[in-house]
Parts: sequence; structure tokens; C-alpha cells
Amino acid sequence: MKEKVITYFFVGILFVFPICSLLIKDMDISSYERRKLTTISDLKENFVDNLDDYLSDQFPGRNLLISSNSVFDRYILGNIDSNDVYIKDGYVIDKNYPLNDKNVAGFIDKINYINDSYLKNSNVFYTIIPDKGFFLDDDKYLKIDYDSMYSSLKNDIDISYIDVKSLLNLSDYYKTDIHIRQEAYFKVLKEIASSLGFDYYSVDYDENILDNFYGASYSKVPSFMKPDKLKFLSNDQIKSAKVKHLEYGDKSVYDMDKVNGSDLYNIFLSGPSSLIEIDNVNSISDKELIIFRDSFASSFTPLLIPYYSKITLVDLRYIKMDLVSDYLDFTNKDVLFMYSTLIVNDSNILKVNVK
Amino acid sequence: MVFSSISFLFFFLPLLLLIYFFIPKKFRNYVLLIFSLIFYFFGEKWYVILLLLSCLVNYVCGLFIEKVEKKVCLVIGLVINIGILFYFKYVNFFIDNFTSVFGIDSFSLNVILPLGISFFTFQNISYLIDVYRKDVESQKNFFTYCTYIALFPQLVAGPIVRYKDVCDELDNRSESFTLFSEGVTRFIIGLAKKVLVADTLYNMYSSIMTGNMTVLSYWLVAFGFTLQIYYDFSGYTDMAIGLGKMFGFKFRENFDYPLISSSITEFWRRWHMSLSSFFRDYVYIPLGGNRCSFIKNIRNIFIVWLLTGLWHGADWNFIMWGLYFFVFLIFEKYFLKNYLKQGIISHIYTFVVVLISFVIFSITDLNTLWIYLKGLFGIGSSFLSSESIFYLKNNIVILIVAFLGMGPLFKTMVIRLKKGKLNKLVDVLGIVYIFLIFFLSVARIISSTFNPFIYFRF
Repeated sequence: MKEKVITYFFVGILFVFPICSLLIKDMDISSYERRKLTTISDLKENFVDNLDDYLSDQFPGRNLLISSNSVFDRYILGNIDSNDVYIKDGYVIDKNYPLNDKNVAGFIDKINYINDSYLKNSNVFYTIIPDKGFFLDDDKYLKIDYDSMYSSLKNDIDISYIDVKSLLNLSDYYKTDIHIRQEAYFKVLKEIASSLGFDYYSVDYDENILDNFYGASYSKVPSFMKPDKLKFLSNDQIKSAKVKHLEYGDKSVYDMDKVNGSDLYNIFLSGPSSLIEIDNVNSISDKELIIFRDSFASSFTPLLIPYYSKITLVDLRYIKMDLVSDYLDFTNKDVLFMYSTLIVNDSNILKVNVK
Repeated sequence: MVFSSISFLFFFLPLLLLIYFFIPKKFRNYVLLIFSLIFYFFGEKWYVILLLLSCLVNYVCGLFIEKVEKKVCLVIGLVINIGILFYFKYVNFFIDNFTSVFGIDSFSLNVILPLGISFFTFQNISYLIDVYRKDVESQKNFFTYCTYIALFPQLVAGPIVRYKDVCDELDNRSESFTLFSEGVTRFIIGLAKKVLVADTLYNMYSSIMTGNMTVLSYWLVAFGFTLQIYYDFSGYTDMAIGLGKMFGFKFRENFDYPLISSSITEFWRRWHMSLSSFFRDYVYIPLGGNRCSFIKNIRNIFIVWLLTGLWHGADWNFIMWGLYFFVFLIFEKYFLKNYLKQGIISHIYTFVVVLISFVIFSITDLNTLWIYLKGLFGIGSSFLSSESIFYLKNNIVILIVAFLGMGPLFKTMVIRLKKGKLNKLVDVLGIVYIFLIFFLSVARIISSTFNPFIYFRF
């Protein structure tokens, strides 16, 4: 009896899943994992090499299985850094470890090089946004030595520093994503305004809320976590701003085409882009700002629009610094380096050839 | 293709089962052969032709050894087998060292190692020698011989199956519910050992190795290497034996709780038994074994362990690994024999020696290896750090489970419980347990990136 139960059950499982897989329509994109899935067309291209990816990606109950594995790993095996993320107070925190001293030194060299080579006649500042790991308890979690990182940056970067880390706390971040919520950026905005020397004044915004924001870290934890809500702030100046991407041409500040994409955070300035120019046609200021930035600045930049006539965003992960200098004139402009500690610790992805 | 992949579990295996059990018995070997070649093709593409050519050569040599010129054909067969193995596995290593010693500009033949070549070459060699010794008759049917060599459960990572052990089953075997369900149970246990234990240990030591190392970290890594290799390889063997049973084959065991041995001599009687017995029967004894002078006996043991090291890989660390065991085996044979009885000290001694051996085994770069060996004994590193303590705490559950699983504790518990009044309950819980770990293994495979078995590269 026992033998028959094991045999039938095992054979049943082996057959049920492939049959279900044949009956269920293939999915092109997984919003849970935020990526494109392997589909039957990939299989037709190369059956042998793509079969495993196809069957895994289209496996019936895939999300449930990923979540079950996460529960097993985190709660049965007790891996608090399962999938390289921690969970603290309901926040999913990516493990940013270990501290890469070479990359920190490389970051310093790159910023100093850009400043020395291109920004002699500019009003230059930098700020470093802490990733969520900054808010972990020292004794329980493995985290990089943020004090050492910030100390190296402050000592060795020859530019005025704007300290925003002391203004932030964990609740300013999305629970399932690495970024800071846009509405939590005002205290940072005030600090940056006082350093860069523009008058901060209160601006009215309309609040827009998108439910079900599955952040970048969501699929790394058991799926019983609730997704975030994504709030974005708008007003006439933001709506009328002209946004031009080097790659994609004209866009808007909030790209509503991205609502159905794999990453809702990409509604902020259409996601990854090498060079973006934002012209505020209704500006009362004639000041211009250039921001060297990573994705943290995508949700922050819209809040700066009322204070500048033109803002240019440069993402050196996607464009070489040598090319940037062909496009931009930095003379008499405000320049802000705004990077997260994640990029500082992984600075080799910045395309700056220090000479 | 690997057993712990979705394409194997939910495409290859159900399709094979469907066809295999619905066709007449006389065609089943052909089905197994075709599927075995497909299995190999998925991993190695056109090296499948090399596999078939190797089968053809050995099949013909086997016939000629039996019918015509015994010794000449055996020598030809051995030269071809060892030549193929040398070319595909050792030629780059040989060129690197030759050019380095003689100061010649280095060059490479860009030879890629075909999966499982060491296993199927050794099976071919054992077949030829056994036919030569008249231990078995040669196989007259080429397709049956190919089925023996290419049989997918043992093709790429063993165990090294002797022809005489399966020749009857190749021609006449019976499948049954009992054998099939035993096979399923064994397969799932092997899958869980690989996916839930070995891969978790791999993740543990990979994380530790990226950080700042302390003495504790070095020992955790050594522990991780040892247990991962054990659970990975013995898990693969369990799956191979389990799959064999599903199709009516009874392969010999390859592991017998080696990590609880009380001496290195005992360890090698329990670890990768099909390889140890191959070297014993086809190298050590033909060289004279221990029925010769002291010096010759030392020479014979040295040759066996040099070859054992080389068999595992074409790198100096593998040679060192083999010779490391040679030193301990000689020491035990002539000095420690009377001191190593069953006892906690003997077990600790053996475990520590094995632990260090797998550090040598796992690190191919000799400079890094030297750093690790020094690190284990506190040379040039501090004893503890918050980082190493974090990794110990964070992995304590898997470390304890893996440690307890080294011995027959769980098996003994089940046997005792089944002897009691709870026999039926134990059976039911056993079935639930098996399918629970199967579910978790599939969940882990779905969640993980591709992570092939360690022993494939041998």
C-alpha cells in the first residue's frame, strides 16, 4: 500500500505540473520578480539551452514556490539575511556588505577628478544618501561600517558636503524598495536649498497614489508582506516642465506609461536614463542645476523643479564622463553630486576615466 | 542536464517514464539508451559522439579480447581509454607545466572537459580488464553495451558501476512497485541532500569567503567545504541509485557515513567506495598490493594516491590532496594503527584531517590555499570578529542538521520507531516527510540560480 501511494503520488506530481504548464497561458513579465520571463518564443530559438529557464519561469505556482522557499530559508533555517535581505520592523533591507575600500577610494577619485577637470567655475556640492542598511542595529546584523565610509568621503572629497543622513530615518523609505519615498524628501530638500543657496519656499502639490508598488526587494521575502503605496506629488510647474531624454526624446516628469511596467518606481522620470534635461518654462528663477546622480534622485528631482529654470540629470552608470562634457557647459551653474551609499560601495560602475 | 533541474524533473523524467513503462520489455534498453544520450546532449552537446565512439572502441576491444588476441587488445583498449582521458582532462595541465619548466611560451589547446569522462572511462577500463580476466563474458550487443556505459543515472557523476554488477540486469531485470517506491524515496532524499543541505552550505561559505577572515571563519569554510562536498556527492549517488531502482537496476552503494570514521583508513573504505575499489582491484593489487616488500608496498600505495588525486582534477592541489592522504594512510598503517580505536579522539582526529583535506581539495590556487591553511591555525588572522560570529549564528541550524546527518542517527531513529507500536504512523509520517522535502527542494530549485554538482568536473 505504502509503495503504491509513493509511486502514484510521485508520478502524479511529475505529470500534473507539465500538463498544467501546457494548459496555462505563458506570462511575459513577472510583476512579482520584476523581470521578463522566458517564453515559448525563446524556446523556439534555442530549445536545448532555454528549456530549463522556460520551464522554471512558466512553472505553475512559481510565486508560491519562491515564497515557500523564502519562508523555509528565513524561518526554518534561520537565515536572517536570506536572499541577501534583512527584514526589520516590516522593512526589507538589502544587505550592503562588505565595505569595499577600493570602491570607496575609487568613488572619491572620480568625484575629485570631475570637480578638478570640469567644475572650476561652478557652485559644487555633494550629498550621500544612506541605504536602508544604515538604520540596522550594529549588534544583530552584518552591515558595513558607515562611519568609516562617511569619514573617508568627508576627509578626501574636496567639495562642500551636505549632510542629510542625520535627517533621515527608516520610515522615510519604501518598505519593499531601496528608495526613499518622494514625500519624505522635503527635509532633504530644505537642507540642500540652504547649502546651494536657493530660497526654499512652500509649494502646493496634488497628491497621487498608486497602490501595489512591489519594490525591488519584494520578491526576496515571503509574499505575505504587503506591497507599498507609491505617492507622487504634482503641480502645474511639474506638469508643464519639458523633459528631454538623450535616449528616449521628449517625456514627462511622471511617465504614466510605466504604471503597467515591471517597476512602478520608473514613473519618476521614466527610470534609468543617461542624460535628462528638465526645463521649467514657468520658473521665476534663472538658475540652472546639474545633478550627477543615481536612481535615488529620480523621485527627489521633481521637488526641485520650482526652484530652477533648468535641471540636468547625469547618470554616469549609463554615459561616459568624457561624453557628458561634450553635451554640457558647467560654467556658473549649481552642481550637485547626489549618490547613495550603494553606489559609493560599488563605484566601479561609474563610467569615469580618471586621468 | 542535472537531476536537480526543472527540465529533468518535469520534462525528461515523466517523458521517459511514460515511454519506458508503456513499451514492451525488449525495447526498454533502447529507450534508456536514447534518453541517456539526450540527457548527455543537453549538457555536453556534440561530445555525445565522443561518448558513442568510446563505447564502440571498448565494445570491439571487449569482443577481440575474448575471441582473438587477449593481451594486445587489452593494451590497445587501455591505451585508447587513457589517451582519451589524458587528452581531454590533463593535456592543458601538462602543457602549462611543461612550458613553465622548460621556459617555453605557454599555449593552450582549448580542450573542454566533457562531463563524466572520468567515470565512463573508468567503467570502460573495468569492463575490458574484467573480460580479460574472464570475470565476465563480453557484451555481444553493441546497444546493450552503450546502455551500460551511457545509462543516465550514473553517467556523469558515478558511482563507477562495474559491468559484472549490472550485466544480468541489462538483459533481464524486473521493475516493481516496491523497487520503484524505494527508488523514489532514495531519489528524493538525494535531491534534498543536494538542494536543501549542500547548496545552503555552499551559500554559507561563499558569503564568508567574501568578507574578512578570522580563525573561526576559516574553520567554518573548511566545515562548509567538507559537508557540502559530502552532501552534494552522496546526494547525487542517492539520486543515481534511486533512479536506477525505478528502472530495475540495483547499483552498489558509494558512501557509508564516511565522516564518522575513526581513522583515515576507515574513511576511505566508506567514501566514494566505487573509486576506492576500482583503484584497489585494477591498480593496487596488480602492482603487488601488500604482498611484497615494504618499499614496494609504499610505492604501490603512493601510486594509488597519486592517481586518486589526479583523477579528481588536473591541478596541483588535487595531487597534493591525494598525497596528503598517502602520508596519513602510511602513518596509520605503520604507526597509529593500534591507537586509533573507536573513541572520541579517533573520530575528532579523522574529522579534522578530512576537514583540512577538503580545504586542499577546494582551493586550486596554491597561494590562496596557503593563506587558508595558515588561517586555520591562527597564523596571520585574528580569532573572532563580529562578522564571523554573525555567520556562525546565522547558519547554526544548517550546520547542526548537516553535522547530525553525517551519521546514521536519523535512520536508526526511524528503524527503532518502526519496531514499536507506532509502525503505521511512522509510515504515514514518512510519506508526508518525503513529499514535504520534495516540495521544498522543487521550491528551492525554482528560486535558485543554476548550481551544478561538484563531481561533474571529474
